[in-house]
Amino acid sequence: MKKLIIAALIFTTIAYTACNSSNTHSHEGQTPDTTATISTPSTDHAVTEVKPQFTNVDPQVASALKLVIDQYLHIKNGLAGDNANDAANGGKSMAEALKKLDKNALTPEQQKLYVENEDDLKEHAEHIGKNEGNIEHQREHFAQMSEDIYSLVKAFGGGQPLYQDHCPMYDNNKGALWLSEVKEIKNPYFGGKMSNCGSLNEIIK
Amino acid sequence: MKKFRIISLVFLIAFVLMQFIRPSRNQSSDQGSIKKTVSIPSAVSAILKNACYDCHSNNTRYPWYSNIQPIGIFMAKHIREGKQELNFDEFNTYSSKRQRNKLKRMKEQIEKDEMPLPSYTWMHSNAKLTIDQKQLINKWIDSTLHR
Repeated sequence: MKKLIIAALIFTTIAYTACNSSNTHSHEGQTPDTTATISTPSTDHAVTEVKPQFTNVDPQVASALKLVIDQYLHIKNGLAGDNANDAANGGKSMAEALKKLDKNALTPEQQKLYVENEDDLKEHAEHIGKNEGNIEHQREHFAQMSEDIYSLVKAFGGGQPLYQDHCPMYDNNKGALWLSEVKEIKNPYFGGKMSNCGSLNEIIK
Repeated sequence: MKKFRIISLVFLIAFVLMQFIRPSRNQSSDQGSIKKTVSIPSAVSAILKNACYDCHSNNTRYPWYSNIQPIGIFMAKHIREGKQELNFDEFNTYSSKRQRNKLKRMKEQIEKDEMPLPSYTWMHSNAKLTIDQKQLINKWIDSTLHR
């Protein structure tokens, strides 16, 4: 009887630890494979000015979207400052802000574009929100999130002038874009490691 | 010694009582299957079914020990979380942008050996992806993305 009890005990413990331990996926931090800092000085003549596609955006939608974009900039600044907690808070707030946007106020054409980006954006916001312990994983999601935000800003406007910057080295030199509220380059993909690496491509206003 | 026996007995009773908890099974429709949007070669489909579908679809093949608690409870939790991240049986309901990003991240996860999870391959050793299998999946993802 005693043997049976012990066996049952051991079995339960093993089962418990085995199923629980593998819950966290670790993501190896990736470091840039070159130490050279390519700092492209942003020259004004190369910057194109872009106007948003829709001119008839409902004011309520515009202000709801502004809140989403504010959180995007919050995440961006968190990552640029190597502050994963800040980025995570921005992610959580963005997921909340997305819920408040009233899709019924959009025209069918606007709705199509918005919906195309919405579920993707929501997912990136949630992932950035729950990965405060893994800034490199936050940056992977930020790269895709930036594509969504860029599409939305190009269509609906950003509620303020936004600069579209490009980092040529991210993701093994595949490159990634980001949006910024300031003209000065502060790279969110490498943070302090190469803070002023990147080029300014567009201004959307 | 008496203390030990009492403690053991408590654990045994807890273990027995736990067996009455039956998490609901993950077995439902594949209406939104990835096959409706993306063409998948049968070799790739077989790998995905074997190595991914248990946690990333609406239909899990349950092993016998899933009937023992707390194993079944933890399994249910893993499946719930797995489906939230990626569900091959609801893939068709994702926006096309999300579908593309999912495929890209699938590739990343496989290349970094993050998926399938070690706790899964521990009991499903045939779900461990070989180099050939990984290449096959990557090739399929690349060709889908560059359609």
